[in-house]
Amino acid sequence: MHLLRRHDSFRHAGEKLRCFALVGDAFGGRGGIAQYNRDFLNALVASGRVASISILPRHAPDPVSAPEIVHQMTPRGRIGFAIAGLVSGLTQPADVVFCGHVHFARMACLIARKWRAKLVMQAHGVEIWSRPKVAWSAIQKSDLILCVSRHTRSVMCAQAAVEPDRVVVLSNTVANMFTPGDGSKFRQRRGLGNKRLLLTVGRLASAERYKGHDRVISTMPAILAQGYDLMYLIAGDGDDRHRLEQLAREYGVEDRVQFLGALAADQLVEAYRAADVFVMPSTGEGFGISYLEAMACGTPALGLAAGGARDALGDGTLGMMVEERDLCEGITRLLSAPPLRGDALAAAVQARFGPAKFQNAVDAVLMRLCDDAGRTWHEAA
Amino acid sequence: MCGLNGIYAFHPAAAAPEESELLATRDAMRARGPDGSGAWWSENGRCALAHRRLSILDLSDRASQPMLSEDGRLAIVFNGEIYNYPALRAELEARGTRFRTSSDTEVLLHLYAQDGPEMARSLRGMFALAIWDERRGGLFLARDPYGIKPLYVANDGWTFRFASQVKALLAGQKISREPEPAGIVGFELFGSVPEPFTLYRDIRALPAGHTQWVDKIGPREPRPFANLASVLSLGAQEALPATEVPACVANTMLDSVKSHLLADVEVGVFLSAGVDSGALLGLMRDAGQRDIQAITLAFEEFRNTDEDESPLAARLAEHYGARHVVRCVSEAEFYNDLPDILSAMDQPSIDGVNSWFVAKAAREAGLKVALSGLGGDELLAGYPSFMDLPRWRKRLRLLTMIPGIGRVSRELLPILAPGLVKWKPKALGVFEYGRSWPGLYLLRRALFLPAELHRFLDSGLVKTGLARLKPLQMLAGHLKPDPGSDTGRVCALESLHYMRNQLLRDADWAGMAHGVEIRTPFVDAQVLRELAPAIARIAPGTGKAALANAPSLPLPGEILKRAKTGFGVPTSAWMKNISMPQERSSRTTADSKGLTYRRWSQFVLGQAGGGCASITPA
Repeated sequence: MHLLRRHDSFRHAGEKLRCFALVGDAFGGRGGIAQYNRDFLNALVASGRVASISILPRHAPDPVSAPEIVHQMTPRGRIGFAIAGLVSGLTQPADVVFCGHVHFARMACLIARKWRAKLVMQAHGVEIWSRPKVAWSAIQKSDLILCVSRHTRSVMCAQAAVEPDRVVVLSNTVANMFTPGDGSKFRQRRGLGNKRLLLTVGRLASAERYKGHDRVISTMPAILAQGYDLMYLIAGDGDDRHRLEQLAREYGVEDRVQFLGALAADQLVEAYRAADVFVMPSTGEGFGISYLEAMACGTPALGLAAGGARDALGDGTLGMMVEERDLCEGITRLLSAPPLRGDALAAAVQARFGPAKFQNAVDAVLMRLCDDAGRTWHEAA
Repeated sequence: MCGLNGIYAFHPAAAAPEESELLATRDAMRARGPDGSGAWWSENGRCALAHRRLSILDLSDRASQPMLSEDGRLAIVFNGEIYNYPALRAELEARGTRFRTSSDTEVLLHLYAQDGPEMARSLRGMFALAIWDERRGGLFLARDPYGIKPLYVANDGWTFRFASQVKALLAGQKISREPEPAGIVGFELFGSVPEPFTLYRDIRALPAGHTQWVDKIGPREPRPFANLASVLSLGAQEALPATEVPACVANTMLDSVKSHLLADVEVGVFLSAGVDSGALLGLMRDAGQRDIQAITLAFEEFRNTDEDESPLAARLAEHYGARHVVRCVSEAEFYNDLPDILSAMDQPSIDGVNSWFVAKAAREAGLKVALSGLGGDELLAGYPSFMDLPRWRKRLRLLTMIPGIGRVSRELLPILAPGLVKWKPKALGVFEYGRSWPGLYLLRRALFLPAELHRFLDSGLVKTGLARLKPLQMLAGHLKPDPGSDTGRVCALESLHYMRNQLLRDADWAGMAHGVEIRTPFVDAQVLRELAPAIARIAPGTGKAALANAPSLPLPGEILKRAKTGFGVPTSAWMKNISMPQERSSRTTADSKGLTYRRWSQFVLGQAGGGCASITPA
């Protein structure tokens, strides 16, 4: 029957899949993208449909702890990555090739072609904003392109001539440790007393100034003028810190801004819990995982109606979404009367983006890779 | 008949469909369905369907839509007509299915419950439909093989939306208006927007002859259930002896006309002085319809001249005993209606003005349904292209094999023959495109050639648009598998490109703007299957001769003779007066017609571009 078109060498129903993954970083990596890759690969394992996963990362600065069926190779620099990719990719049979970054598209495409495997491409955001020198022709050969948000998907559809229905949104999820709780210890340790706390979490990279720390700093005098005893906490580190410190001095709010540096995971959870408002008026998020983390900890989040942040903020139904000119008003509104707080907000985030939803979505991605609509129709009844 | 739409929030993070959006999209299609409207939500509130109805079969409220199956597990919205529904219904009843209405919509519900997505193969007619399947938690969409009825879809990664019209989807205010370069470039190349593209990146047509399944994973890639090129190809393998062609044409068309008369309201006919519509009228009479209303357009400019076809149409009407309505249209009325025409035009089109007025006339005459001869030229080799393309191919074949001749001629011709290039700008592309069927067809139908587009469109947009549209590849796709004869190849190209993207779209928006269902007995997959063995044997002229003799009372001889020279239509002169007001005239010569359409296309795109983010031609 025509609806049952199958990939020539693809596994039969019931057989488990062998996966090969090229990633920037995953297990033992840092930051949002490593987290997403781990979430995705762990969900593949949890699906029960995968026999083995071989991962070749570019980086893995931290100790690696991965599930049993996952084998992560040791990163060996740029040239080593290319050699290891070709050697292991072309010698180990695979059914699914997962390409964690568009820059590896050409190699991933080659490996997928060698094994007639399904090619799954991952797009986060910033790497495709401007038409960079990536191999669009290789990306266009993907069986499925996963994008973290509707915005990233929209940019992908504009940049690459791909069948739009192959471009799927697999949103970020939020880890189980982000839950509502007591933030008073964090306040005590940092000597924050009963101050009203604004928090931003993100790298302070001069290449990523779109995050909007400077927008918050420039708004502070106006908020302070309304009588709020305010402190702005900046978690994360990077080469842009000095500039932001300078900016705080320029606005005369240097004693109202605290740079927390990069926080360990448990510290980060406490910071979210302690904060009154999580604010990140970013214009260039692919998704913005930290909005989710904050709201999962019960803290109201505020962002601009721009890019992937719309997804994390649930189009304004989870977090608050404002135009840039209304940033001050948005912050004071959340400080004076948060609409949803604590458990209700955390539950709403879990209902839309929780690990259970993510697992469902990854199961669905696998189902879609393994099979087609016709079969689904007949078996779903 | 009808307009349909729906919203399905398939992603768990997406907000449930809002009633205001659903109804805004639905009611933007009021003209498509003036007789009633409805809306329906799935049990979990994640899927909503809506419908506007033009009642033609089973006029009762029981046949309203969205219609639910008896167990409430299936909900359907449907636009179109299923001409073989009595037979399908009888089969279902024989297997024990009980029916609550006499509408074709209910047949679709039962057929889907029985056959699933395969049901699309059983349908004869024109259709766009969507069925929510509660048990499987998904949405099924289908569109007829020729694409007579439109169905547009939009997927933002969280929410899937669909509607009968692009403008209706936009009216919901939730879909991005980011331009689609392939749609804009396609329009300037051909004069209509080639599917699946639209002017907007996030809105696409569900391709004709395809089904689509959407569930919690989102929309899957559309799947074909019909391939008209393969019908022609199979037909060519069993080609009929030439002597049997006339009988085959007569039998097939009589059967088709009979099927297309199925309705609970009066069915009229659009009558020109040509063979196609004349034969339809004759066959309607043979099919047993005694009282037939025939609508003919006449133009003030041509009154009492040789170019007026209404006297000959009147002769035809008399010949077959039809009630004849001649509707006279003037340039003043065109100007008066132009804002309404542009607003009803769903996607920009350089044509459709005639369809607008003839549908308007039908409505004034009290008709809801009319047969049209649309598609006769594509099916029975009526266009000059059936003569020209094979001839050009023969002549150019050797020359185009010279390496580099395409580019050299493009550079040298403007110097060697500037006059030719001014009046026949497409001459520049003869050697470049003359080597293949798709190339020749592009040359024949193109409004502008790809190399000319940068003159008035942003060059980045042209580059991206051409890379996404792949015009030659797109046309080559209509010839897979090879239709097996020259007539078959041109038939496939004209039917699957020009007729699908231009004529059928125009007939749909123009007819629906007046609440008139235009039925096309020549555009029918069943007809193609039956005629395919004859098409390989049809040469230009012989097909139309066979058609003229198809009615038991054949067409008067003068019709066939006169049809060869054709009649004038002043619409291109009117268009010229609007898009080139400095060169006012009441006639447009054949030579300058192409140039008029070039200017008109930019006028139309400029009007349509108002709704699209930054696409107005430079």
